[in-house]
Amino acid sequence: MSNSHAYPHEETGVETRKLGMWVFLSTEILFFGTLITTFMIFKGKNFPGIKLTDVYDIPFTSISSFILLMSSLTMVLAHNALENSDQEKTRVWLLATAMLGAVFLAGQIYEFTEFYHKGFELDTNIFSSSFYVLTGFHGLHVFIGVVLLLGLWAIGQRQNGLSLNQGMNLEFIALYWHFVDIVWIVLFTVVYLI
Amino acid sequence: MSEAHLEHPTPKMYVQIAILLGILTAIEVALYYTEEIVGVFTDPLLVILAVGKFVIVVGWFMHLKFENKTVNRFFIGGMILALILFAIVMFERASANYI
Repeated sequence: MSNSHAYPHEETGVETRKLGMWVFLSTEILFFGTLITTFMIFKGKNFPGIKLTDVYDIPFTSISSFILLMSSLTMVLAHNALENSDQEKTRVWLLATAMLGAVFLAGQIYEFTEFYHKGFELDTNIFSSSFYVLTGFHGLHVFIGVVLLLGLWAIGQRQNGLSLNQGMNLEFIALYWHFVDIVWIVLFTVVYLI
Repeated sequence: MSEAHLEHPTPKMYVQIAILLGILTAIEVALYYTEEIVGVFTDPLLVILAVGKFVIVVGWFMHLKFENKTVNRFFIGGMILALILFAIVMFERASANYI
């Protein structure tokens, strides 16, 4: 967003809070990198109990993935609307992003419930534990994103628009939200398709 | 910063990018169901598609393509560290076969 470039740090050339957000995302890559690596250690090994491939529902998860991908579109449209000072559209796209995120979360809760009913539980074996920890932490990130989006939307509704500083917060939340999306792009392939 | 002079995509371009992402996802799912036909190429193709989607979202939706080099270094640095960790553990898993 243009206002974040208004006061770049003289040495880095980037606004300090924005650089901080990117550093945070960099640490998040390592966090999820560790969880994915742990999952991959156990994937394909024979453990007692029901297998993940026996309880999968690829069409359902594919639709969930598509919904999360489209939430990245609505997020970037909210960002774009704010850059064009269109406060009303900004709020609409923010709410749409939060709703799509909530639908994805509802899908994940449904999926976890189905897996449990079929006997693939957190303590079934070490592989099931690594699956729930990995996908569960991603779900937690989506939940935090939805709360942040709804919070910013509510502020915009109450004040009939977002201030310059709140606009920067939108940019940070957008970065976070897209990051959550790219993590799922990797998880969808690594956990479900391969 | 010369990167800042690059024009950000328009809303229409964002929609086109999202459609492309949707198509790539559909191809991924199709590959999953045609594994017996595609054979050994399935997994590499799935990885290539995932990397493609990843780069599109990071580059255009997160605007990393248009960002300052410092920002790029931090993000790519995190990616490289995570990939090194992954490679070391997978190498150890393959050689030790400990589980």
